[in-house]
Amino acid sequence: MTAQVTSGPAAPREDEHLLADITATIGRVVRSVTEVGAAMTALAAAARSGRRPLRRADLAALRPLVGQVLTRHRGFAAGAGVVLAPDALTDAPRCIDWWWADRGSGPGQLEVDLDPASAEFYDYTTTEWYREPARTGQPCVAGPYVDYICTHEYTFTVSVPMVDDSRFVGVAGADILAGEVERMLLPKLSLLGRAGRPAVLVSGNGRVIASSTARILPGTVLRSSGTSTAAAGRLPWMLIGGPEPAA
Amino acid sequence: MPPPALTTVRARTLFTPLDAGGRADTVTRRLANAIRLGLLLDGERLPAESQLAGQLGVSTVTLREALATLRTMGLVETRRGRGGGSFVRAPDDADRLERPLRLLSLHGLRDIGDHRAAIASTAARLAAERALVSDITTLREHAERLRGATALTDRRRADARLHIEIAATAQSPRLTRAEMDLWSEIGDLVWLPMEGRDVTSAARDHDLLIDAIEARAPERAREIAEQHVAAETDRLLELRLSLHRR
Repeated sequence: MTAQVTSGPAAPREDEHLLADITATIGRVVRSVTEVGAAMTALAAAARSGRRPLRRADLAALRPLVGQVLTRHRGFAAGAGVVLAPDALTDAPRCIDWWWADRGSGPGQLEVDLDPASAEFYDYTTTEWYREPARTGQPCVAGPYVDYICTHEYTFTVSVPMVDDSRFVGVAGADILAGEVERMLLPKLSLLGRAGRPAVLVSGNGRVIASSTARILPGTVLRSSGTSTAAAGRLPWMLIGGPEPAA
Repeated sequence: MPPPALTTVRARTLFTPLDAGGRADTVTRRLANAIRLGLLLDGERLPAESQLAGQLGVSTVTLREALATLRTMGLVETRRGRGGGSFVRAPDDADRLERPLRLLSLHGLRDIGDHRAAIASTAARLAAERALVSDITTLREHAERLRGATALTDRRRADARLHIEIAATAQSPRLTRAEMDLWSEIGDLVWLPMEGRDVTSAARDHDLLIDAIEARAPERAREIAEQHVAAETDRLLELRLSLHRR
């Protein structure tokens, strides 16, 4: 069943209040990830000015920073790393250097099939978290989506573009579990919901992130919610009123 | 000279990461499949235990347990002394094709079909309710990939990936994991080369299914997925029975 909404966007102030904490928390992850991206960009710039090839092995220099993202945001960021634009490196046409957080057995590196000829080819260039920063030059909060590649959970991915000398070289990013985001949002959303009509938070493409009613569940799509665009420094999410409670 | 580490395509196929705490049976299944699929050749010497364990991301204890099982299955032979090590013993061709099927009872096959139908039909229905336009594009790409795949192993993987994507489109990590588990269990059977499975008929089913998802027609999507799985199950049951007629 596709949920229908009867009322439009909530007042902007309600929206900001609800999102203040989560915006700040995700903002901190974006800042951490931006440090990783800056380090990668510096590597690319150094290689360019020194006329040296940029190699896969050079990425090892980023790992302490990636590790820092995971420890600094422990329990919130489930994975982090950099994903290179095709041909950004000289010795690998495509490259993912992504690590998942310690799950008892130490941090682990993600391995995926990046051979376009393979049946299991993972084409990251088509993902929202890669495509959007590449297109807009802005950070992006993609999802929620089922990440069967890395976290195996319902996930958001924050990503920032990496640009060297006006050339897009890839994204730095981190995975955030949708459950953690919902945990932060639900108390406030429920308070709002109690005040009157149900409150539903949707992503820019209409996917429900959190809701104060069991009649509109996370993961479903609010078809009539329209779209919202990402404003710098703000999450591309919208608080909208749910259907009027049944009489 | 020690045998080289397994490299490139075979390594990628074999060594996609196991879930944390990868268990011996997962390793056993993966190696057994690799042998049956011919990724590891008859007589080939496996890398040293510590090296292989490292590549698979498991402890040597876990690997030894898996190798012991493979020895009892007759798929690995261990020789002691100089020039010793673990060697692949590939079953002969007929055996290679039939063995996975022979291991299953009709009841077992039917049960797998029931399980697949439950997962795939629910995933299809929910995907039709919850898909965004971008999801449809992804599904079509994967359907196309299957159409273009020629080797059986590639078809199996592309087919699995498409069904996993449908479950992901349903926004359910659990259904997605269920599809992944089912396909790692039965993927080889679905694309068993004994009776050339028609890639065009599978592709037609998939196209209709994606059409229904795109049209946001949950019931139609559910029905198509259920019939698709039922047809595959029937074919496997027929094949299983035919092993006794010959």
